[in-house]
Amino acid sequence: MPEGKLCNKKPVATREDLDALLADSNGRQYYAEMEQLDVDAEKLWATIQKTMKSRTKTWLDICAHCGLCADSCFLYSVNERDPKQVPSYKIQSTLGEIVKKKGNVSNEFMRMCMDTAWSKCTCCNRCGSFCPYGIDMGVMFGYLRGLLNSQGFVPWELKIGSGMHRLFRAQMDVTVEEFVDTCEWMVDEALEEWPCLEIPIDKEDADIVYMINAREAKHYPEDIVEAAILFHVAGENWTMPSEGWEMTSLSMFAGDWEACKMQVETVYGAMERLRPKRMVATECGHAYRATVIEGPYWAGRPDGQPPVECIHYVEWVAEALELGKLKIDPAKKIKEPVTVQDSCNYVRNAGLRDCTRIIMKHIAEDFREMAPNKEHNYCCGGGGGFNGIGRYRKQRNIALKMKREQILATGAKFVIAPCHNCWDAIRDLEEEYEIGIRWSFLKPLLIKMLEVPEHLLPQE
Amino acid sequence: MFTKILFATSGSPCCDAAARVAFDLAARYNAKLFVYHVLGVPSRGFSQVVVDVRTGEKVELDEDYTLWVKDELKNTYDRQMKGGVECEIDTAVGIPHREVLRKARQEDVDLIVMGASTTGCEADADAYQRHFAGSTLQRVAKASKAPVLVVNRPVASFWGGFTNIVFGADFSKASEHAFKFALKTARELNAQLHVFHAIDIGSTHSLISQKELDDKMIEARDRMRRKYLIQTGDFKNVSADIWEGIPYVEIVKYAREKQADLIIMAHHSKDVGDEESAFGHTLEQVLLRATCPVASVNRPDKIQNM
Repeated sequence: MPEGKLCNKKPVATREDLDALLADSNGRQYYAEMEQLDVDAEKLWATIQKTMKSRTKTWLDICAHCGLCADSCFLYSVNERDPKQVPSYKIQSTLGEIVKKKGNVSNEFMRMCMDTAWSKCTCCNRCGSFCPYGIDMGVMFGYLRGLLNSQGFVPWELKIGSGMHRLFRAQMDVTVEEFVDTCEWMVDEALEEWPCLEIPIDKEDADIVYMINAREAKHYPEDIVEAAILFHVAGENWTMPSEGWEMTSLSMFAGDWEACKMQVETVYGAMERLRPKRMVATECGHAYRATVIEGPYWAGRPDGQPPVECIHYVEWVAEALELGKLKIDPAKKIKEPVTVQDSCNYVRNAGLRDCTRIIMKHIAEDFREMAPNKEHNYCCGGGGGFNGIGRYRKQRNIALKMKREQILATGAKFVIAPCHNCWDAIRDLEEEYEIGIRWSFLKPLLIKMLEVPEHLLPQE
Repeated sequence: MFTKILFATSGSPCCDAAARVAFDLAARYNAKLFVYHVLGVPSRGFSQVVVDVRTGEKVELDEDYTLWVKDELKNTYDRQMKGGVECEIDTAVGIPHREVLRKARQEDVDLIVMGASTTGCEADADAYQRHFAGSTLQRVAKASKAPVLVVNRPVASFWGGFTNIVFGADFSKASEHAFKFALKTARELNAQLHVFHAIDIGSTHSLISQKELDDKMIEARDRMRRKYLIQTGDFKNVSADIWEGIPYVEIVKYAREKQADLIIMAHHSKDVGDEESAFGHTLEQVLLRATCPVASVNRPDKIQNM
């Protein structure tokens, strides 16, 4: 059987497509169909010739198989140093083979590639910083995911995820109306405690446009109002777009390049429409990577930059604390030992390592660094889509062990994780291994510690 | 008094007492009853797993499971549903307190009825574990526009048979709304309304001078008169008392002495998410300890037109 009903080479195009996939719980039928899916070798080779740039070719060619990348990979370490988890082996035995064979590979091989690309690499890019040649297996796995996706070999959840982006321009089914209504609802709930609080929608020429992760709108709307409170207290002139507020990209995890472009163009469209001075991104790592680092290339922007200056939430908080826009009550600083999870996507891959240290200086009395940390930190264990794929749950749980050991070594029982993916992974880590930790985003912590100017308080 | 009631239930026996009151109320006021169950917290991308309330086991969340749960809810409340109450069963996936509030807002309900929060309700324990600190109940009570009626234990009398209502006054803004609700309820049911305030003496180890206590007593008496009692008008079944002690203990003791069928209080805790205060503040303690239902009111919206 060449093309399955659910598992095929066509991306999700309609609500019916999406519903059919969603109805197939855990992708049982989907993965069964995948076993029969034909590999279109001609198309695969044509795609490679069209899209594989000289950097990838060179990287595949010059890898000396020296194995120095092995110890850089947390998945190698937590899987008992299995040689099959050595980054160079992982990429050479998948992408390397496909290229060598000019796309003439079997269905079984493609499924092995899928399992490798999504359960043996989180695209954390740590190996790239230890390779003497600077070969980045994470980047190449990102590329391999794209090739696999174009042939229909993509985990079920991620086909749904990128389908959501295609239909809703968000990773979850949140419409413009629902989003605006949610903002109104949240303000309504908070008004009593925060008089004059607002979430200005579609305000043009504001200083800040704030963009988020669809999960916040769908399941954790408190997060949106917490951001609103902090902007309010800091006296920022800010807004949110009614369309283009979602900056995550499950399509990036899925390797659905077309959907990546669609999504980020919606986000850039909002920036161009509202002309803010800056964009502030919520506490999410991959959303920042998708919108700020990779997005400009997907959208074909000649300068490689988004339309306006984009900063991550930790940058905004660090700046607001340093400038005194947000003031912390010294008596309310965190007294217990606390550690911070450095998100690969905006620390290793975007250089924002100092922001959280500045923040910790303001809010914590006993900040403990993980080891290693900053740009050398390990992935939380659930990055690159790993958290969300049921098929690889077992492998993901093993992957959490590195973070567990790192956290335990700090002696802290409290972990600040300013990234949705890391936050999820650390929550799951506690559920799986019960090491007695708590974890939090920055926003709710900051609100509890703020010195609020008198005129912003409710009058009793 | 009520036209739409939302009964948020885990479907487990710990909600049976609440179910009885909810169906009772709906029948009495000819109100539409929404029986609402939140299946669980989503966490697995699109392959969602929830903890089944009855078995405590992880199950895949799919259409079959959802239909089965709805069916189970129908069976659980079968007898009550046959009583002629207009009733709608629905489920949702999400963070429990958020979904209950969402439903209440969507349907514009006048009252939310909930069961026990911390004893034996896996759904809540799960939410708590997942670090949505503070119980579902506490978070619903804080943000809800409608009064939230919590039934923790089997109740002795039906809503219509309530004869003694205790109003726990704390002089906050929210407590003004709560008082309006208490007065309306007492009038409606022709019950005795006991307005009560407890002066907080802090911990038993901190000494407070008798002079200070007397001053506080005088001040509280004055505020009680000006803030609440003045509103009672021609309603004469009102008494007022002020005691000193640890507020939640005093309220529970007072309710016992007055053989209260219902306690009404304001919810005005600001620190819902705080680990230490998660179960620590007065309302939560009263909820856990009182033998009768407790209604929490935080906002005026639904009280106005009642």
